[in-house]
Amino acid sequence: MISYHQITLKVNGETEVVNVPANMTLLVMLREEMGLTGVKNGCAAGECGACTVLMNGEPVNSCMVLAAECDGAEVITVEGLSHNGQLIKLQEMLIAKGGVQCGFCTPGMLISAFALLKRNPDPSENEIREALVGNLCRCTGYVRIIDAVKASVEK
Amino acid sequence: MLYRRQARRYNTYKRKKTMLNPHPGLPEFTYVKLASLDEACGFLVEHAGEARLISGGTDLLVRMRDKAFKPAYVVDIKGLEGTDVLAFDPSSGLKIGAAVPMNRVVAHPDVQKHYPLLAQAAKSVASYQLRNRATIVGNICNASPAGDTLGACLLLGGRLNIYGKDGERFEDLVTFFKGPGKTSLQPGEIVTSINFPLPEKGATGTYLKLGRNKLSDLAIVGVTVYGFPDKMTESGFRIKVALASVAATPLMPPVVETVLSENEITEDTIQEAANASMDACFPIDDVRGSARYRKEMVRNLTRNAITEVWGQLQSRTENGLEANR
Amino acid sequence: MAVTDKMPELIGKSPLRVDVHGKVTGAAIYTDDIQFGKNLLYARVKRSPHPHALIKKIDTSKAEALPGVKVIVTGKDYPQRIGLYLKDKNIFATDRVRFVGEAVAGVAAVNEEIAEKACELIEVEYELLEPVFDSIYGASPDAPLIHPDMGDYEVANFIFPKPGTNISNHFKARKGDVDRAWKDCAAIVEKSFHIPQVQHVPIEPHIAIAKTDDNGRVTLWASSQSPFAQRNLIAKTLGISESDMRVIAPYVGGGFGCKAGVTMEAMPVAIALKAKGHPVKMRFTREEEFYTNFVRQGLKIKLKVGCDKDGNMLAMENTMYWDGGASTEYGVNITRAGGYSSTGPFDIPNVKTDSFCVYTNHPIGGAYRGFGMSELHTGIGQVMDELAEKIGMDKVEFLKRNSIQGGDINVTGMKMHPIGLQECIDKVAKGINWGVKEKASSDNKLRGKGIAISWKAPAMPPNAGSSAFIEMNEDGTATVNVGGQEIGQGAFTVAAQIAAATIGLPMEDIRIAGPLDTQYSPYEWQTVASRLTWSMGNAVRFAAADARRQILEMVAEAWDEDVDDLDIINGIVVSYRSEKEMSLKNIAVYGIPKEDDQGWIGGPVVGQGSFMPSYVTGLDPETGQGPRAVVHYTTGAQGFDIEIDKDTGKIEILKAVTAFDVGRALNPELVKAQMEGGMMQGISSAIFEEIILEEGVMQNPSFVDYRIATTVDVPRVMETYFVEVPQDDGPFGARGIGEHPMTPTIAALGNAIYDATGIRLEGPPFLPEKVYLAMKDAGILD
Ligand SMILES: Cc1cc2nc3c(=O)[nH]c(=O)nc-3n(C[C@H](O)[C@H](O)[C@H](O)COP(=O)(O)OP(=O)(O)OC[C@H]3O[C@@H](n4cnc5c(N)ncnc54)[C@H](O)[C@@H]3O)c2cc1C
Ligand code: FES
Ligand code: FES
Repeated sequence: MISYHQITLKVNGETEVVNVPANMTLLVMLREEMGLTGVKNGCAAGECGACTVLMNGEPVNSCMVLAAECDGAEVITVEGLSHNGQLIKLQEMLIAKGGVQCGFCTPGMLISAFALLKRNPDPSENEIREALVGNLCRCTGYVRIIDAVKASVEK
Repeated sequence: MLYRRQARRYNTYKRKKTMLNPHPGLPEFTYVKLASLDEACGFLVEHAGEARLISGGTDLLVRMRDKAFKPAYVVDIKGLEGTDVLAFDPSSGLKIGAAVPMNRVVAHPDVQKHYPLLAQAAKSVASYQLRNRATIVGNICNASPAGDTLGACLLLGGRLNIYGKDGERFEDLVTFFKGPGKTSLQPGEIVTSINFPLPEKGATGTYLKLGRNKLSDLAIVGVTVYGFPDKMTESGFRIKVALASVAATPLMPPVVETVLSENEITEDTIQEAANASMDACFPIDDVRGSARYRKEMVRNLTRNAITEVWGQLQSRTENGLEANR
Repeated sequence: MAVTDKMPELIGKSPLRVDVHGKVTGAAIYTDDIQFGKNLLYARVKRSPHPHALIKKIDTSKAEALPGVKVIVTGKDYPQRIGLYLKDKNIFATDRVRFVGEAVAGVAAVNEEIAEKACELIEVEYELLEPVFDSIYGASPDAPLIHPDMGDYEVANFIFPKPGTNISNHFKARKGDVDRAWKDCAAIVEKSFHIPQVQHVPIEPHIAIAKTDDNGRVTLWASSQSPFAQRNLIAKTLGISESDMRVIAPYVGGGFGCKAGVTMEAMPVAIALKAKGHPVKMRFTREEEFYTNFVRQGLKIKLKVGCDKDGNMLAMENTMYWDGGASTEYGVNITRAGGYSSTGPFDIPNVKTDSFCVYTNHPIGGAYRGFGMSELHTGIGQVMDELAEKIGMDKVEFLKRNSIQGGDINVTGMKMHPIGLQECIDKVAKGINWGVKEKASSDNKLRGKGIAISWKAPAMPPNAGSSAFIEMNEDGTATVNVGGQEIGQGAFTVAAQIAAATIGLPMEDIRIAGPLDTQYSPYEWQTVASRLTWSMGNAVRFAAADARRQILEMVAEAWDEDVDDLDIINGIVVSYRSEKEMSLKNIAVYGIPKEDDQGWIGGPVVGQGSFMPSYVTGLDPETGQGPRAVVHYTTGAQGFDIEIDKDTGKIEILKAVTAFDVGRALNPELVKAQMEGGMMQGISSAIFEEIILEEGVMQNPSFVDYRIATTVDVPRVMETYFVEVPQDDGPFGARGIGEHPMTPTIAALGNAIYDATGIRLEGPPFLPEKVYLAMKDAGILD
């Protein structure tokens, strides 16, 4: 028997009320119920990081969170990073440094990096690498992504 | 058969007979959030065999997708009383609630100051975003021999606070593990927190984890070493070892401790302890590594970990820390 | 074709990617992001649990009875065979299964859960057959036949299957007289290597949606490198006319070859044909991506090489057994590429090559970045290292002495075009401080350096074509229409750059039409073989030149001037004679009014261009000889400075350096990005990756146990260089670089390990365990 849950949460600043089945993950809810398809599914098993979103200010693998657990939560996806077309510095640097190729890892990568800079505004290269270890990228070899995060540090 | 003649892999191990094709989504279940430990415990007793607890869910959801677990009910422990506590008391020690994600533990100043070994071990688990969900108690209750924090929790004297239908009980972690995925928990029991006594004076430790990647992988082997000055021993120190991924449960070979307390600590006795550590484990061949390699790694990493800890202990002694005792 | 008269300013600059804004904001649409509404059905696949078995009976009745199930198809519904070079595959297995994971039936239902449940309810009765798990054994007469009907299969005329065996292609090259040459050799090295199967691992798993309209027309949305090849292959197989099949291909979240040809896309189409009006979505789980998707074929390679006392290469014998898997429809051409490139970039007078593609009961082999070259060079790069040592020559000197150069006649009898390989070797040798023995960082470590060179030609049928058209817009911008796909490599950006440079527009004034749609986009064979910058680039350049000509002719007429006096600079037509100026705004669509309202000149400008290399020739089946086997080769070198931890066997790369001759770097930053990403993928395959197969069952079908490189595995120092010796048939002299950077990696790392330890491993991945136990067994650990 499956249960359904009415939850209220904030997604990218908007309050949403949704009715979700117990087995729906936050990832599926964001993509399929809310059309936030910037959140990507690369494995559905907590391994690749493509589905990373901010939940209550901290990055989580949205494929590893049940939607039903999100009652009262505040969620930010890649769509919620920039405002009114104004890119944040990380996005700009990812473009400038060439840290995007196919772009499939990019949304999760941005969220992880954004969270890193929030908790540690001046990370060392090691800290950057460690913070992004859960975000797999098959295209770039990571070099330019790491460069972009370094370049985003507000000095 | 003919194809037996064909080339085989350099190491052989118990193979999976059938192919795993996990369901694209999670199977159906009922998600249950209850108001109190009492209710949760009652629910678990009532639905024994059909219900499972979820904390961070990072083990549970993976296994449910793989169809290894098929619970009809998933009972959330988050929000139950006491599970959110992360507190240090200079007289009694550290309490980590069952719902506290690892990142909170790692970032806590008192953990960093008094239990850096625990922070180090927790930081070696998966990725930052996963550690925002994964909990230490979940790591323990999952009872995988590869669990990265189990060694530190064991060596630091972890004691579980368990809530059951007959009320609260405590159990030392040393007796908790019964096999891969098996613990001493009885139906209906919920671990509410893990508690640590104050660390020994002058104590230090390290966790050496060998994965395929430098970080984020599961341990092929993991070696935790914890040591402190101890006037009661011949060597003046007590050094203990816990091993991950080399037996059905985390191992704490007592012989290592004996070697290093009954003899003066030298390169030779460290090597002897490392050899003893290797002899005490009985790993298997699996897709992550062969038993032969694992044994060798247990020896080498035990030696390196003890050497590191021993170096720290010595420099602390020289710096007069020992005078505190 | 002249390389170029004058190099436009934009060529050799690195304008930003054109596709990037949507990719950083989450707005970019990938296939799974398209919304299809409530009518959508979800498809799942029933798969074989056996490596080799006859299908006795399939009972779908229980599955059909499950509420929510709409359509079930099995091999009975579609007996037709499909394949790119050799039609040896069925969409769903018909009478037998040949690998664990092969599709046996497909189900469409109202959601994925029900579809999956229905798959579980389908009952299949099998009769087990003896499997083949080894390519050498598979090629032997003892092995059971996996495709007893091979003789009936349709096959391209450059592929040579051997019916009655498991050999689906045998490529032979014979040059000079090897047997005589051995006598003159002062040093000979013989070695075998085994390169295991690996997976592509794009972060976006395979996904396709198909829909059949009432009138029988089919639309397929797919994450695809090859919309046109998919249209062609699927339409032909299912008896649809090509123009009644439409393939729409949005951005691809990584391909690396696995989204080329047809892998899973025919399945949703086959199902959708029986579910008219419903879009049918099929998306692979990560696990399916690992064990059912095409793999990089395994290779067993035996090499014998010899040189004279001065270190001049005299002979090579190269025997390759490719583990093509259960069907080799794509792999047969990898076998061919391995054959015609079998010497690597070395000048060797006497060569004997036999390259066999062998059916096994393993996952199907397909195209993977490098198309056989990583595997081939793993062997060649390491035997050359040993031969240099045996003859007592510095390894870099040996490479330089023997590497192929412009004007040399290569293994297939083709005269090499000018290349900058020598310079690449120099750059890499300098980069890793070659020749200087450096100390390890501690007693616990062993330090070593290794270098290897490689080459690769675009591997494709001789007539693989490209086309493009460019429409001018009212605002003076140009929309570039191409059929080549943006899979991350930057194809759209380079197309925009070529168009802008050729017409005379600023980069911002170019739009790339997308997503690709076979109904509107011009034809492109496939986005593979590192061929887009070169081949599609040529088509774009011609289309842009055509548009430019139309504009200039129009303006020349209006101004009554000579076209040769006019130019387009930054979107403004200028005359060098009259110094008149006119913006492209409006005129490129509406034309220019004649004076005194006496009519109009011009009209909507649409430039078109197409390109097909018409000069590639066939090769003699017995000797592999012919005037021009391929269009050209991209060559380069790679080197590593590494340390090995004696306690664990772990390899730490201190420095990684690579250099390739790209002809002309149209966009240097994109070239470097390809080199970094490619080298890292090579490193990942060299030290982590292997599809571990036990009796046909993949043991590690998830990221948990199929590790790929992460941020922490990137070498501290990585240097990339390009050399520019222009290519006569490339746009502005450019050659491809997409695949090449990973082709020498395994060999170069293998050589570095050898330098550090004296140990030569049989093949990758160079896992700590393998390195450690080999050191232990060799007695070099105390
Ligand atoms: C991608 C990935 C990578 C990983 N990497 C690592 C790694 O490197 N090292 C490592 O050690 N682990 C790793 N893990 C495993 C997992 O993250 C850890 O074991 C984690 O600590 C589990 O905590 P949790 O809170 O998520 O547990 P949950 O999944 O919530 O629970 C685990 C088990 O314990 C039971 N349980 C939970 N709470 C209680 C309670 N209070 N009382 C009684 N029973 C309870 C649950 O029913 C379940 O069976 C990884 C997992 C994933 C998905
Ligand atoms: S999709 Fe969530 S981590 Fe891969
Ligand atoms: S850019 Fe393709 S996966 Fe990162």
